[in-house]
Order: sequence, then C-alpha cells, then structure tokens
Amino acid sequence: MTKLVVVTGASRGLGLAICRQLLSAGYQVVALARTQSPELSALAARHATALSFVAADLSDLEAIAPLCTELVKQHGRPYALINNAAVGYDGVLATMHNSEINTLLNLNIQAPILLCKYLLRPMLLNQSGRIVNISSIIARTGFNGLSVYAASKAALEGFSKSLAREVGKAGITVNCVAPGYMQTDMTNSLQGEKLESIKRRSPLGRLATPDDAAGAVLYLLSEQASAVTGTTITVDAGSTA
Amino acid sequence: MNIEQQIKDSLSQVALLANCQLIADINNDTVLLQSGLDSLGFAMLVAQLEEDLGIDPFSQMQIAVYPRTFGEFVGIYQQALKG
Repeated sequence: MTKLVVVTGASRGLGLAICRQLLSAGYQVVALARTQSPELSALAARHATALSFVAADLSDLEAIAPLCTELVKQHGRPYALINNAAVGYDGVLATMHNSEINTLLNLNIQAPILLCKYLLRPMLLNQSGRIVNISSIIARTGFNGLSVYAASKAALEGFSKSLAREVGKAGITVNCVAPGYMQTDMTNSLQGEKLESIKRRSPLGRLATPDDAAGAVLYLLSEQASAVTGTTITVDAGSTA
Repeated sequence: MNIEQQIKDSLSQVALLANCQLIADINNDTVLLQSGLDSLGFAMLVAQLEEDLGIDPFSQMQIAVYPRTFGEFVGIYQQALKG
C-alpha cells in the first residue's frame, strides 16, 4: 500500500521541495498550506492522484483537531507527518510587537505539537510512523534579530527528543532536520554582503538548498532510517562546523 | 452493542497491540492505571474509539479531565454521545 505523508507549509520553499521528492519516491502526499501557490498547483496537476492539497491556516489552533480528524477520515491513517510550516519574523526583540511574538510561537511550536498529538494517534494504532519536525541551525547558534524564531526552533528540538522517547515503543520515530540558510521566500530579506558572508564562511562555499534539506527528510522516512530517532540532522553546507 | 461493551472490546484490542496484559475482571471500580494498560495504551484506546465512534470527548472538553476508574471513563463517553 502507498504510504501517506502529511506535509505542512507545502506551497513554497522547503515544503514544496519535500512534496516533489516524496512524489518522485512514490509516496501519497497531503499538502497543507494557507493557499495553493502556482508551483504547488502545477505539481498537483502532474500528480493528480498522488497529491491532495488541503487549505489550512495552522495559526488557528482550535481548528487543528477537527482538521486532523477530517484528514484521517478522507485519506486514511498517515505514515508520516512533516511539520515544516513556520514564520520567521526578523527584528530585534525590544521592538517586536507582542502580536508577532504570539503568532510566531503559535505557528512554529504550538501548531506542530497539536499536529503531532492528533496525527500520532492513527500512527499508534498502526504501530508505525515517522514524524519529522523542521528546525533550523538557529536553534543552536545565535543570530541577530531571530531570538523568538530561535526560541521556537529550540523548543521544537526539545519537544522532538522527548516525544521520541514517548512513542518509540509504538514503532514511531521522531526527528528534526535543521537546515542552514537556504535561498527561499522566508530568507529573502537576507541579501548582499550578509548573504555573501554566510556563503564564504561555509566550508562548501555555498548555501544548502531546499532539495538538500528535503533529501534528509526523505532519508528519515526510509526503511534505512528505522533505527534513527530523537536526533537532528543538520543540512547547512557545513556552516556550523 | 452498548458503549460499555464497545469500550471493553476496544480495550482488549489495543492491549493486544500495545503488548499489555489486562487484569481478568475489569469493572466500573477498576482503577485505570491498575487495569494493565499503560499510558500510551490509553492514548491508543482514545484513538481507537475516535475512529469507531467519531468522537474524542477529552478534546471537546473545555478543561482537562482525567478519569480515575473504568466507570468514569465509560461515563464520559456516554455523556458525550448523549450530548
């Protein structure tokens, strides 16, 4: 039977790259995003039976439980959940609006926790499953202007480790992938000398791409990764080496 | 089938899946944590009942409720199905 994977933040950047690679590898994909981008529409047109788009605003935390119930009812028990949706507001903490702090923490940490809670249940009944939470190298390295984002990603890594211990005996693995800077819509504000400096400092002399990070996600979903749980795979072209 | 029997059947089903040994006589006074099912097993029971009955009364409640006995657990489902 084809394995079903739920991917959040699927319309752009890393989420879209993950969907592309999952489809190439033969998975069935449920792609969640607020709106369907032209790229995701094109992908859906090429994979009409294997890709389903579901519009969802994950910052609406109350809607997550019914959303998960509906997903399982419509598509069956998922094999894997990829928590990729996140926002990355850039700004010093002293002047960041409280509403932005709230929105960021809701979307980057509370929403993935609730998605895990409700999509874990069918995985428990299957006694098998994979959860991959997308973190960032910022969870463990400092970066000016990203303190709240960093807090959310460090929280996600701590959450993943303990959850891995909780559900391991049910055959479910929980891991993180921590990409470095990638050129995506989220990092568009990072330009010029700052961007060049990150590239220069990387041992490989380049940035990791969304496809590089998506490859790590695909590995964690593979049979070969069945003994890997509670860990973080860093994909950053060596930036944090 | 009444809800109590359905919950007992699901309990046996998930105990098998979770590799837990249930005690022989589960009645309304049985303390859940002494039934033989562990906490992950109870999560599986709630998941199984959600698939079978289409409800998760614990998520629908405004406050956290943790039933102590099997009778209280069944009562929560009976109440939710009535409502």
